[in-house]
Amino acid sequence: MTQPLQEAIVVSILVSTIRIMTPLLFSAMGELVTQRAGIWNMGVEGTMLTGAFMAYLVATLTGSPWIAVVAAVLAGVIMGLLIAFMTATMRVDHFIAGLGLNLLASGLTLYLFQSYIRGRAQPTFSGFQDVAIPLLSDIPFIGPILFSQRALTYLALVAVPAIWFLLYRSRYGLELRCLGENPKALDVKGLSVVARQYIAVMLGSAMTGLGGGFLMLGFSDRFLADFTAGRGWIVIVALIAGNWKPRGVLIAVTAFAFLESLATHLQVVNAGVPRQLLLALPYLASIGLLIGLRMRSGQPVRLGVPYLRE
Amino acid sequence: MSTALRVEGLTKRFAGVTANDDVHFDLRPGEIHCLFGENGAGKSTLSSCIFGYYRPDSGDIFLNDQPVHIASPMDAIRLGIGMVHQHFALVQDFTVLENIIVGTQRSGWRLNAAEARRKIGDICGGYGIEIDLDAYVWELPVGKQQWVEILKALYLDARVLILDEPTAVLTPGESAILFKIIHKMCQRGMSVILITHKLVEVMQSNRVTVLRKGRVVATLDTPRTTPDELARLMVGRVVSFTVTKPDLEPGETVLAVEGLNARGFWGEPVLKDVSFSVARHEILGIAGVAGNGQKELFEVLCGARRPAAGTIRLKGEEVAGMSPRQMMDRGVGHIPDDRFREGLVPDFSIADNVVLGWQRSPEYRRGPFIDRNAIDGLAREMIAEYQIATRDEKVAAGKLSGGNAQKIIIAREFLHASGLVLANQPTRGLDVSVIEYVQMQLLRKRSEGFAILLASEELGDLLNLADRIAVMFKGEIMGIVDPRTSSVAEIGAMMAGSRPEAAPRKERVPA
Amino acid sequence: MLWTAASFVIAVVAGLAVSAALVATTGADVPQVFGALLQGAAGSPKALMTTLIKATPLILTGLATVIAFRAQIWSIGQEGQVLAGAMGGYLGAQLLAGLPPLLFFPGVLVFGMAAGMVVGWIAAVLRNSFAVNEIISTVMLNYLIVYLLSWLLQGGPWGETGDTVSYHQSPMLPEAAFLPGLFGNARLHAGILLPFLAAAICALVLSRTPIGYEIRGLGHNPVALRHKGVNVGRTVICIMVASGALAALAGAVELFGVAHRLRPDSLVGLGYVGIIVGMTGALSPLGTVLAGLFFGGLASGAVYMRVLGDVPASLVPAMQGITLFFFLCAGVIARYRIVKVAAQ
Repeated sequence: MTQPLQEAIVVSILVSTIRIMTPLLFSAMGELVTQRAGIWNMGVEGTMLTGAFMAYLVATLTGSPWIAVVAAVLAGVIMGLLIAFMTATMRVDHFIAGLGLNLLASGLTLYLFQSYIRGRAQPTFSGFQDVAIPLLSDIPFIGPILFSQRALTYLALVAVPAIWFLLYRSRYGLELRCLGENPKALDVKGLSVVARQYIAVMLGSAMTGLGGGFLMLGFSDRFLADFTAGRGWIVIVALIAGNWKPRGVLIAVTAFAFLESLATHLQVVNAGVPRQLLLALPYLASIGLLIGLRMRSGQPVRLGVPYLRE
Repeated sequence: MSTALRVEGLTKRFAGVTANDDVHFDLRPGEIHCLFGENGAGKSTLSSCIFGYYRPDSGDIFLNDQPVHIASPMDAIRLGIGMVHQHFALVQDFTVLENIIVGTQRSGWRLNAAEARRKIGDICGGYGIEIDLDAYVWELPVGKQQWVEILKALYLDARVLILDEPTAVLTPGESAILFKIIHKMCQRGMSVILITHKLVEVMQSNRVTVLRKGRVVATLDTPRTTPDELARLMVGRVVSFTVTKPDLEPGETVLAVEGLNARGFWGEPVLKDVSFSVARHEILGIAGVAGNGQKELFEVLCGARRPAAGTIRLKGEEVAGMSPRQMMDRGVGHIPDDRFREGLVPDFSIADNVVLGWQRSPEYRRGPFIDRNAIDGLAREMIAEYQIATRDEKVAAGKLSGGNAQKIIIAREFLHASGLVLANQPTRGLDVSVIEYVQMQLLRKRSEGFAILLASEELGDLLNLADRIAVMFKGEIMGIVDPRTSSVAEIGAMMAGSRPEAAPRKERVPA
Repeated sequence: MLWTAASFVIAVVAGLAVSAALVATTGADVPQVFGALLQGAAGSPKALMTTLIKATPLILTGLATVIAFRAQIWSIGQEGQVLAGAMGGYLGAQLLAGLPPLLFFPGVLVFGMAAGMVVGWIAAVLRNSFAVNEIISTVMLNYLIVYLLSWLLQGGPWGETGDTVSYHQSPMLPEAAFLPGLFGNARLHAGILLPFLAAAICALVLSRTPIGYEIRGLGHNPVALRHKGVNVGRTVICIMVASGALAALAGAVELFGVAHRLRPDSLVGLGYVGIIVGMTGALSPLGTVLAGLFFGGLASGAVYMRVLGDVPASLVPAMQGITLFFFLCAGVIARYRIVKVAAQ
């Protein structure tokens, strides 16, 4: 293989890594906020799916991807409301609540989708395109990778330090982390634990929904069943692998995105390896990662434990 | 006389139980007023009403002789009432400063620590409290952690301070420091409500209000009363403080521990070179503030934790590293300190709990199935023998009071144990009458020839019951002493970490 | 017990109400849709038969859920284990071909269950030895199994190929491998007896045996069980292996009784709906049977509804999800374990 061809392939892999990464990053940051507040939202998959569907619906109805983004965020907020209600108010086990939400989302979106396209060809839309930052995108090699991406991609990359700032430097972030470590500490100061959990979960789910919406708007033009294909679970694995810190989660998400990007490129280049094996790589990697990372010390102490005032 | 806080006619009911019945209580400015009573007497309920956790069904609260309405802890805090809980509400991963200021900042988006630092510094300086604001809470010893709790209330400008069982986790030395500083606070105008069931603490107060079954029995000036009178008022009858312990010659060694070491989750040492022995007809007491390795020691001895090094010989057999199953099969009984978490399945019936651990045993089975009749019959026997207050054996264990739940555990362990009983804080949180009962049971087993390892935070219990007392501090045995010849001061010093010259640290363990 | 039944009814009613609203908003005629559902579920002997047939795998996967969830083991690998069971059964059919029926059918079903048991065992070991959360591991395993099956059928050894195209299914099984019918009716395959048998066994084991005691105990308070000598790791393995066997049995029965060929779309969703069935059945074997029959009826009705009306068949998964949501909110699961002892 010639040198420029090799380089082109490498660039292509890296470019698509960044592209694949960003919806995951939104959702991961959103789930990070939720989990640091003590709620284990297993319904990430369902929330992303709902966000994706709402984005599709609104994009085909209005023709504007930006309005569709708003719709995806709203969908996330509503899902967050449902999860918060089940976990913080009804004190349903967090895992069951999330699973229930996933099942609700998959059934509901499929039905609404099939009702929507009933009897006609599936409408499509044109989503986001690359926005090249002037000057910076002309830098050889790095330029196309980092500075010629979708607009929301830039936002996603900025979101990571923003969330870090929120968690560690703002007064709200201190309260949020307190929720996940020991909510009683807030309760004894007269502050409402439940209200704060609702806000945190809705904020987190809004970002997760945005991730799902971006998955649709940035990289596809139509909806189909099981659109998110397990990415929500990858997000959860990334959180564990990243030890519940923004930087760690960023690294984990990048790793998964790289793997998926590699798999896609290998499919085209190398016909020897079965397609399914390549598709299965991220999931295999997840299991391998979790096996290898036995001691994760960053897990919020009260994650998954409903708060009962003694 | 003006009062800092006054409660009149307060009544609070929960589902058929009257927790507080027409309670009158007043707090003078600058005084330490003790709320004294057994568990369930209504102390916590009263203080919870004052702090806004509960809303009373009837009654009024006055602050500085002005009527106030306290609907939530937020109201209480705004009115200058602060509460230091018995079980700390701290975030281990936060620094002291972060714990104090979390949730208190009213405006601004960034964390504003500078001003808080100054204010807290002033408070600490004024009262002589020494603490490092930037230390993480998990780094601090428990005694220091309590100061964080107290500072949380002081930072929010509390003028009335409610302290709930404050010396539960302190050594005698730390308690003394605590009261010295509280006295200083009172001199500066703080009014303190001290909730306790420990007579030692009560005698530190100015006045004491005794509660029994939700009602105020008496309000007395502390200098004018005696511990005996207070105990009598608390329980309603004369209480004997010492149980008669027959003098028994210890027999052959049942348990011999030598050089026991264990590591915690992060690899840190939790047991260091622990050595001791317990013989038949003997109770070896383990003294020490909770958190100094007692729990880990018991976990190793019952098989739930693997030791890193050392030997454990049970009746001559080497058993270190064996599983709980193996220890149980060798007749080791275990009464854990966390009743509802380690000793029982709260959702299971009493009958099911009586055989917990022995559910596969042939005497409780008929073929592949559980023999319900045998188990229910056994449970009924135990309920009668141990006087467990319940409707029948089908009631879920979690619905029972702490005392009755403890009786189930004791019944079960005594039934199946042969030789060694491990009792970890068996009387914690129990009423006086149940405490007496448990003590009697332990002495009964001692007379029968059992060896008993008894850990307790209540030094008084150990002085009563134990033939010898080993003091633990930070995972080490500081010394093993004779309760008849040692003083509370000596033992207290060992609990705080100072090693006396005379007392032996290790015993020569009989082979 | 009464409260459980009442909650179930309330949840179902609320679920139906919201589903009705859903149908209305998409413009279809509510009474017609629900009428079609009812007709298709129980309106004729044929409908009832279809309900039973559809309910069979759901009850089995529901029982798989019950066994695991009661011990607070959140295994959601039923979906993959169903596929594994079908694959195991298919392999068995190749290897045991030619055996007399009395040996063949138990044999292939055992092959199927064994496949599910292996999957369950893997997840159990991951949990025990590597502290891998079983929700995540079973979901990942689901995807891996799906891809494995996809490879086997498309261009792999088990695929069926037409002239130039490869379909996403295996060739049809020989007639000797069809499960025999009951009462002379070929459709009513003998496998429909299995869920009831399995439910009875589960009920007996859970309430009357030492291992059932340990399963329930694990679900309430794993810490106490560990302290009282129960080998938690070994018990977890037993539970997840048993759960895998039950779910896989559903897949094998579907293969030999209904689809008669290895076809993923006949198996998709059986696992996830099984979770819903188990949970709305209040995690009890009897409740699971009732819930399974209800959802089987919905599935049967959906076929009829689609033929008759214009409503997409995916209304049924939507209704299932909605019903589950209400059921969770009815708090039954929450009240089932009020004091949750955090296993530390």
